[in-house]
Amino acid sequence: MSLLDFAKGPALQWSLYIFVFGILWRILGAALVRRTKDLSSPRVSSGERVTGGLKTILTRSVPPESFETRIRFLHITGYLWHIGYLVVVFLFVPHILFLKSAVGFDWPGLPSTVILVAGAITLATLVALLVRRIMHPVLRIISTADDYISWLVAALPLVTGFMVVMRLGPPYETMLAVHILSFELLLIWFPFGKLMHAIFVFPSRYNIGAIFARRGVRA
Amino acid sequence: MSAVNEAFEQFRQGVRQLPEMAPPVRDIPGEERVRIFKETIIKNINPHQAMDLETCLHCGICAEACHYYVATQDAKYTPIRKLELLRRVYQREISPNRWLRRLLTRDITAEDLQAWQELVYDSCTECGRCSLICPMGIHIAEMVAVSRAGMANAGLAVGEQRAMSHEQGRQGTMFGMGKDTLVQAVEGLRAKGIEVPLDQEEADVLVATSVVEMFLFTDALEGTANIMNKLGCSWTLSTCGFEAANFGYMAGYHGYHRAAAMRLIEAALAVGAKTVIIPECGHAYPALRWDGPTAYGRPLPFEVLAISEFIGREIKSGNLKVKKAPGAGKVTYHDPCKIGRIGGVFDEPREALKALGLDLVEVEPTRTQSYCCGGGAGNFLISRAAPLRAKVWELKRGQFDETGAERVVTACASCRINFMAGAADTHWEKPIESLTALVGANLAE
Repeated sequence: MSLLDFAKGPALQWSLYIFVFGILWRILGAALVRRTKDLSSPRVSSGERVTGGLKTILTRSVPPESFETRIRFLHITGYLWHIGYLVVVFLFVPHILFLKSAVGFDWPGLPSTVILVAGAITLATLVALLVRRIMHPVLRIISTADDYISWLVAALPLVTGFMVVMRLGPPYETMLAVHILSFELLLIWFPFGKLMHAIFVFPSRYNIGAIFARRGVRA
Repeated sequence: MSAVNEAFEQFRQGVRQLPEMAPPVRDIPGEERVRIFKETIIKNINPHQAMDLETCLHCGICAEACHYYVATQDAKYTPIRKLELLRRVYQREISPNRWLRRLLTRDITAEDLQAWQELVYDSCTECGRCSLICPMGIHIAEMVAVSRAGMANAGLAVGEQRAMSHEQGRQGTMFGMGKDTLVQAVEGLRAKGIEVPLDQEEADVLVATSVVEMFLFTDALEGTANIMNKLGCSWTLSTCGFEAANFGYMAGYHGYHRAAAMRLIEAALAVGAKTVIIPECGHAYPALRWDGPTAYGRPLPFEVLAISEFIGREIKSGNLKVKKAPGAGKVTYHDPCKIGRIGGVFDEPREALKALGLDLVEVEPTRTQSYCCGGGAGNFLISRAAPLRAKVWELKRGQFDETGAERVVTACASCRINFMAGAADTHWEKPIESLTALVGANLAE
């Protein structure tokens, strides 16, 4: 079995298993912590609490005006790298073909040059965020191993992807295998590190929205 | 020096003596403190908080919401940093991936606990501003309260709060003041010709007060009595349950929180009250309104209202008529965090100020985004935190000055104390007033 066969076969299968079961395990583990009932009388109906929670899922995507000038860099870079990453993953034609084999349908992609530019911007943004994490006193003091591991795991598929497209490094097939393996590493790490925020962000924002709505405060 | 300023200086001196009044720190081995802290965290973390701790990106945005960070630019005041020990306990002991987290997360030590005392007591007022900006929706303020419970149980609550909590929890007094002080305060008001019902057998409304109102801000207590009389409601103060401030709640002693809350709850039940009014005391409001039912073990059979909420509601409904307040018309209102951001009372005090014919100018930012006074959650008692509070006062003073307002009104004694201390130390002359006193002094004939 070649490295590429391994990457496309058992490695992909097992990384997907770990991805799916790891996510379920982590969600269940956090949700099953002993809960206490809030016995206070709410200011609003249960429907309004649900609406408050759902609204907060959306409103936390944009910082309040009074904070905007203080957090503009993070606000812009945050959007930049997330959107860039999604464009590269889901709108690069070879990726679409790869995903089609799994889901059975495809969608239009973007020209490779556009993807290359998006990838370069994404990677540059990630590097800027890493430098900031290392240099900024606040980020330095609160960063954990997970922050650096997750950064590496998120950046590797971009770097190896560039190398595949630009025909850099080892022979094409080996480099492609390394690229796929780096993506599988992301799948494997996803349920264990902070990348899980992609899922937890929804219940977490909902919870705080509903908690504050209960007290009549828009969060 | 005016009578209020003289009493205020006496109060400040009394506060400075608190560390000497605190019971000695229990002699517990370091490992035992760590064990107790961990046990408390494990017992008190709820699923929302677990989800929050799983979600944090360590983006540092919360720092920009914290008045202590904004005022000092010191990274150690980053709100999420204040939860570091709680986070480590969660990751190592509770998290579904604890087998992995133990490899990546350092265990906590007795030295860590000592070092974090300052971060969870001196430099966090649980104001909730960070909770409102976190892009992941992490309720940091709520988890600081859990951290305080861990610290308190491990014998590491800060001295001033330990002193107040123990005295209130065990003896039901504060600064040695209790029922007798209430009776004296009531007699003082009666001597002015104000009718004050005390220990009525039945009443629709139980009015709670606080040691600060009885001793220092008597104008607020007088205002409350005038308002209640004007409304003609059946009300009473009770020597069985009058103190609304709840230092156990602030410091993290759940037992003392319960003891203080139960005194009020039992007094309300004894007179058959339909409503309990909480005086101008920020923390007292959530201690009974939101977390009182936890202490009681079931929903409260009466309504709990902050006095500012009650006043605004009565004015809006037309039951309470006020006249135009004398003096400068341009005022700004400071939202006490526990009543506003954490409690949901924003419109009612503004309703009252408008009814008084005052020109309300808002600070920027205001309402849910308003900065804390810097002295909430019992911080105003901590002597060593005074330099930190002074820096936050500079921030607040700048905001007040920018509005062009000639007076500041608030509805929390801690905020008022904190602002008065800042104003006295920096010779800032604008009056800092109680909403209740202002309304009580300007009731329509």
